[in-house]
Amino acid sequence: MAVQSVQPSEGPELVQLLTPEGERVEHPDYSLDLTFGEYRDLYRDLVMVRRIDTEATALQRQGELGLWASLLGQEAAQVGAGRALLSQDFAFPTYREHGVAYCKGVDPVTLLGLFRGVNQGGWNPYDKGFQLYTIVIGSQTLHATGYAMGLQRDGSDGAVMAFFGDGASSQGDVNEAFVWSSVFQAPVVFFCQNNQWAISEPLERQSRIPLYQRALGFGFPGVRVDGNDVLAVLAVARDALARAREGSGPTLIEAFTYRMGPHTTSDDPTRYRLAAELETWKLKDPIERMKAYLSRNGMADGDFFAQVDAEADALAAHIRAGCLSLPDPDPLTLFDHVYAGGSSLLEEEREQVAAYLASFEEAVH
Amino acid sequence: MPTFKDFKLPDLGEGLTEGEILKWLVQPGDDVKLNQPIVEVETAKAAVEIPSPYAGTVTTLHHAEGDTVDVGSPIITFDVDPGGTAADDGVAAPAQTPVAAQADMVPQLSASQVPHEPGMIGSPAPKAGTEEKIEVLVGTGPKSGKLTRRPRKAPTPAVSPPADRTPPRPPARVSAAAVGAHAAELAAAGGAAEVRVLAKPPVRKLARDLGVDLRQISGTGPGGTITRGDVEGAVGDEVGTQPTESAPSRDREFDPATREQRIPIKGVRKMMAAAMVDSAFTAPHVTIFTTVDVTPAMELVERWKTAREFAEVRVTPLLLVAKALMVAVKRNPLINSTWDEAAQEIVVKDYVNLGIAAATPRGLIVPNIKAADKLTLPELAAELQQLVATARDGKTPPADMQGGTITITNVGVFGVDNGTPILNPGESAILCFGAVRDMPWVHEGEIAIRKVTQLSLSFDHRIVDGQLGSQFIADVAALLAEPTLFVAWG
Amino acid sequence: MATLTLGKALNEGLRKSMETDSKVLIMGEDVGRLGGVFRVTDGLQKDFGEDRVIDTPLAESGIIGTAVGLAIRGFRPVCEIQFDGFVFPAFDQIVSQVAKMHYRSAGHVKLPITIRIPFGGGIGAVEHHSESPESYFCHTPGLKVVSCSNPVDAYWMIQQAVASDDPIVFFEPKRRYWDKADVDTAGAAPLSLWDANVAREGSQATVITYGPSVKTCLEAAAAAQQEGQDLEVIDLRSLSPIDWEAVFTSVRKTGHAIVVAEAPVYASLSAEVAARVTERCFYELEAPVLRVTGFSTPYPTSRIEEDYLPDLDRILDAVDRSLAF
Repeated sequence: MAVQSVQPSEGPELVQLLTPEGERVEHPDYSLDLTFGEYRDLYRDLVMVRRIDTEATALQRQGELGLWASLLGQEAAQVGAGRALLSQDFAFPTYREHGVAYCKGVDPVTLLGLFRGVNQGGWNPYDKGFQLYTIVIGSQTLHATGYAMGLQRDGSDGAVMAFFGDGASSQGDVNEAFVWSSVFQAPVVFFCQNNQWAISEPLERQSRIPLYQRALGFGFPGVRVDGNDVLAVLAVARDALARAREGSGPTLIEAFTYRMGPHTTSDDPTRYRLAAELETWKLKDPIERMKAYLSRNGMADGDFFAQVDAEADALAAHIRAGCLSLPDPDPLTLFDHVYAGGSSLLEEEREQVAAYLASFEEAVH
Repeated sequence: MPTFKDFKLPDLGEGLTEGEILKWLVQPGDDVKLNQPIVEVETAKAAVEIPSPYAGTVTTLHHAEGDTVDVGSPIITFDVDPGGTAADDGVAAPAQTPVAAQADMVPQLSASQVPHEPGMIGSPAPKAGTEEKIEVLVGTGPKSGKLTRRPRKAPTPAVSPPADRTPPRPPARVSAAAVGAHAAELAAAGGAAEVRVLAKPPVRKLARDLGVDLRQISGTGPGGTITRGDVEGAVGDEVGTQPTESAPSRDREFDPATREQRIPIKGVRKMMAAAMVDSAFTAPHVTIFTTVDVTPAMELVERWKTAREFAEVRVTPLLLVAKALMVAVKRNPLINSTWDEAAQEIVVKDYVNLGIAAATPRGLIVPNIKAADKLTLPELAAELQQLVATARDGKTPPADMQGGTITITNVGVFGVDNGTPILNPGESAILCFGAVRDMPWVHEGEIAIRKVTQLSLSFDHRIVDGQLGSQFIADVAALLAEPTLFVAWG
Repeated sequence: MATLTLGKALNEGLRKSMETDSKVLIMGEDVGRLGGVFRVTDGLQKDFGEDRVIDTPLAESGIIGTAVGLAIRGFRPVCEIQFDGFVFPAFDQIVSQVAKMHYRSAGHVKLPITIRIPFGGGIGAVEHHSESPESYFCHTPGLKVVSCSNPVDAYWMIQQAVASDDPIVFFEPKRRYWDKADVDTAGAAPLSLWDANVAREGSQATVITYGPSVKTCLEAAAAAQQEGQDLEVIDLRSLSPIDWEAVFTSVRKTGHAIVVAEAPVYASLSAEVAARVTERCFYELEAPVLRVTGFSTPYPTSRIEEDYLPDLDRILDAVDRSLAF
């Protein structure tokens, strides 16, 4: 490669409050003061989120889902961000933020319809402040920015968090969102999960500089945080949301993490990355470090961990049962909800198709 | 009570159609937990671990390591209720599983049907001796198409095009003239320009070629549409009496440059010409003539004009000529026949469908009165009157122009004495009836002014020889000269 | 009653919408202080403020994308794309997001966005300023597409579009921005947004058109009247969905249909009209549906644009050909 990119490092600019070994460290700019219960809750969140992901992956392997986008390895980034959001805050995810959904109170079964092919998402984003998954890369960052501009006009104290990945940071829409949010000082936090890979393209193909430094070019602060450190992410995310709420405008958070699984269940990462890289990142596992921290500091014992595992099993069973019972849509529903105000053309087409389907001796569905 | 469940190899989201069992991670008899890895399956050179969809005991492994298995076929059976108290009878046959049902929906493409897409994420390098597989990044991959039709219910009546034309919502702010919109309704508004006919393009073209005005036809097709048959049957039915004819006026003027007028050959003229040619150049025509003093016949006609029996009808000399002809036919049956070339037979008819040549502005047509020989004279008079009126109105139905057996042509109305008429195709004789003139004649040995007319008879010399023809025309003449012969010969 | 240009009628209509609903926003390049390059938003920022009339950064995708977010938050954004040829950077946001959000969310999310686009040629401009991209948007389910042709329609249709809960692409014929007409601003809308209008009644042939071509067709019809031809002109107004009943009613009356539009003929909206009219008026048609359109080329240089655009002669030539069938 002709271009030498700056290699990401875990130098002083990577905000960290919990080392991979489970040691608590201090940072000059960010701190976190939690009760034992709150630490335990974060651990539980991480385990639940991972279990959602592994159960969904299993369901895909068993033919119950057509596809699944795994967040394996990114649990801390999503729980840290998700738990920083208040109920009046709105999240604009990509299609991998099942952990953020969980934190916002969205039933994981709600997310499955899209991957099972029974709907296009279909949930009501206003319920939990969690927008539908956006599959076009980066588009949601503009939506988030517009929503934030709406909050400004409403005088609301809410804030917005836009989620996207390292690959998305190359998209025009993301850069336009940076322009808009900065010139209008909109209350939006850009949360980039840099998991090092955009399908098979490494970070070096998206940027010559660390992603968080991009923000400076647009005139707002950027910060890189250890994405596998739930405490650091929580602290940084809270701080950025507070900035947004008080009218100081956007922040770019680069959560430095790793996509332990494939891009989706149809991807084969062995074709483009080395197993050794995975091994390196296994040593930085987000759940292991929290477990070590809790154990070593007397915040949790074996009973607690077993109880959390049992809760995870129950959640998995709920997901499995929910998935298997998702109903197949009636074919005529494909005409529903195209317009809020209806359409004479669609009514006619629907009638024609209904008559056609009724002309067969046996229905297929 | 054991409950058996099969697990079928799923499509692992890569458009997989088959997989190779690399390694079994469990053996028959093993207890497995939900999601416990049970098998490694090869896809795209990477092994995929499949987690168990059931908790239970492994009963059977259906394939050995190294086997290639089609997606959708069972690979392992579990007893999910080993030694348990399940309510269902111990039917050993493995039950359908929801997972299996899902896998059932997976396409069963044979490997040769799977298109190969090089360069896609995850595409394998082709192995020697194996078919190419398709891997796609998103989605479950291409499904195979249908190869047979699904059975339909009994067919619903074909939707005729105007049937779905329920009276449309009148568009806003459109004047009353435009609202409504059905051709039939608009026709009531009158005016040729507003009448819209329903006919598909090929029918319109046919109509144009034949010179038929679609506005004058009522359609017999679905919803009142005009069919091809309607157009063909209407040939010769044109009103034609209006100066506007179907073609625009551009072909009715003399071109000043050439001083020529070009009239398209179409419609009735075209059909008539074809018939003439057919007749004239198939049957050898001979025409014979006779001159007759028809004074008694004319006196009879005059008396009938005021007779009660004929009060409702018009009585013309043609009536008497027609009657005379039919009596003559009875005496000379062979004259009422047709030459069937194909069957090599002469077909003699015992009925007289009497054709009357009628001139209309559109051209010559020959409608006939069916079974005219069975009609009484008043009935015949009525039929003749109707026939002439209908022809003049251009409304003669096609059936009336078929099946004639013998024809009269009346050139007398034009003041012409006689002619050499051409046979109506399919007939063997045609009688031409000329003008009735006051002429000096030898009557009872003295010169007197008598009503004299000429009769000409053309006949098909293949069937009718000179003697028969002469005999026939002589009989007609005799009846007109001496009507009391009707009584003798009737 | 006021005599207004089409541009001024839009301005008045927008003002009315802004007064009626405080959630209505206007956003686009140069719409605020400048009042829009065609002055359609003139004076609105002064009266409604910068929070409601927003001069945006120069990025069309950003304009539409942020409008999506604002709409999700409950606002009614009216976006301006400065010229037809510049809508394409926003095309992804329009077809992938604006058009699909209601469907994707099973009806939970409404996007009452109006996207105003000046379109069409005949103004002697350089590249990308004379396009007719309406077919792309008509082809996208989830969007509705309309076009005004005169000041009266402009005044009412813009208000109706803004008030609609569906996303609407609103095409404004830029060569007609300076046409004048009397507009009764105190009355009620004469038609619904989705109605076609019989701009001129006639009996011999139906000319179906929209946007900038409506005036051309009316002028052609007037000239034809001198020669004894009686033409009916239908202004579609709504391009998706089309008021088919109005079209079919007219074609069934006249038996002849000619579609007139500036957009290049191949795979255009005109083709949809021709196909559907043929399908539904088959028995009444005395001639195939003819189309008078732009050619299958990029929009030409301005010195020869009049040879590209459908004009009076080409329209009447098509009418002659139709009547001669």
